Amino acid sequence: MHKFKFFIDFEKEEKWLEQMANNGYHLQNTSLGYQFKRERSETATIKIDFRKFRRKEDFIDYCTMFEDSGWKHLAGSKSSGMQYFKKTGDTDGDDIFSDNNSKAARYKRYANMSFELAMSFLPLLVVFYLTDIIDFKAFINPKELYFTPGLWDKTGTSFWFSFLFETPLALMRGFAWSFIPLTIILYLLFGYKSNKLYLQNKSDKK
Amino acid sequence: MDLNKHLPLTETTYYTLLSLLEPAHGYIMMQKVEQLSNQTVKIAAGTMYGAIENLLKQQLIKAVKSTDKRRKTYVITEKGIEMLRLDCERMKHITYITDKLLPPTALGNGGVEDA
Repeated sequence: MHKFKFFIDFEKEEKWLEQMANNGYHLQNTSLGYQFKRERSETATIKIDFRKFRRKEDFIDYCTMFEDSGWKHLAGSKSSGMQYFKKTGDTDGDDIFSDNNSKAARYKRYANMSFELAMSFLPLLVVFYLTDIIDFKAFINPKELYFTPGLWDKTGTSFWFSFLFETPLALMRGFAWSFIPLTIILYLLFGYKSNKLYLQNKSDKK
Repeated sequence: MDLNKHLPLTETTYYTLLSLLEPAHGYIMMQKVEQLSNQTVKIAAGTMYGAIENLLKQQLIKAVKSTDKRRKTYVITEKGIEMLRLDCERMKHITYITDKLLPPTALGNGGVEDA
């Protein structure tokens, strides 16, 4: 079963995954949404860390350390960031973190990644602006975005047919670039939210 | 080299450094810390991974060649040993001065009264 969901709060995501396991849906993969396998219901302890790795051996060392100490690596790859772990029987601790600082630091790493991604789109925005792909005149005179010869002299059905036919193309022509600032805003928002969670979690008293 | 900026070491950092007097990988370190601290300090996997990363950055420990392909092995550096010595001296003074100023009987009586 596939599910698409989005979390910024790791703790909410952990709770949801534990609830899914309780309903008999076990996390298999997270490369495209959450992929679950139907099995028996289980009371699971699932924890999430956020880490990216430069080298394959760093990732293997990381997973091995968790498996040694009783946490099965469920999903996540070298550069996916999100790492999912399930507690196996032979461990006494109930968490992959033993202090608030390290528990909060995963939000900081997530926030930093979001800000970095947001910044990485900025040069693209500048290039688009300099090459006139971003053209603010289109807001004032959207007619310029229509290329059909004599469109504005047509009348009746003929006009509406041509007009409606070209409108999606005109929108693409004029505003396709807007996905870049939207992406930047979205990443900044994620970064801001997870940074807030970082500060909250850090100051939490256990 | 400014050693003082790392001092005093936290209890977890102190035990983590102490666990690396002999080369060891992450899970061995977790077990050693627990054993050295009489089961009072337990470091979970995610926290230990971050701690190793920090200690490497501060050059208090270093990675050494490992025969185990899946597990990285670390050992304490000269700087790390120096740090342990300095912090130990600091704590020795604390215990010395406390013993001197706070008579053991007072401690004992306090315990009895509390109970």
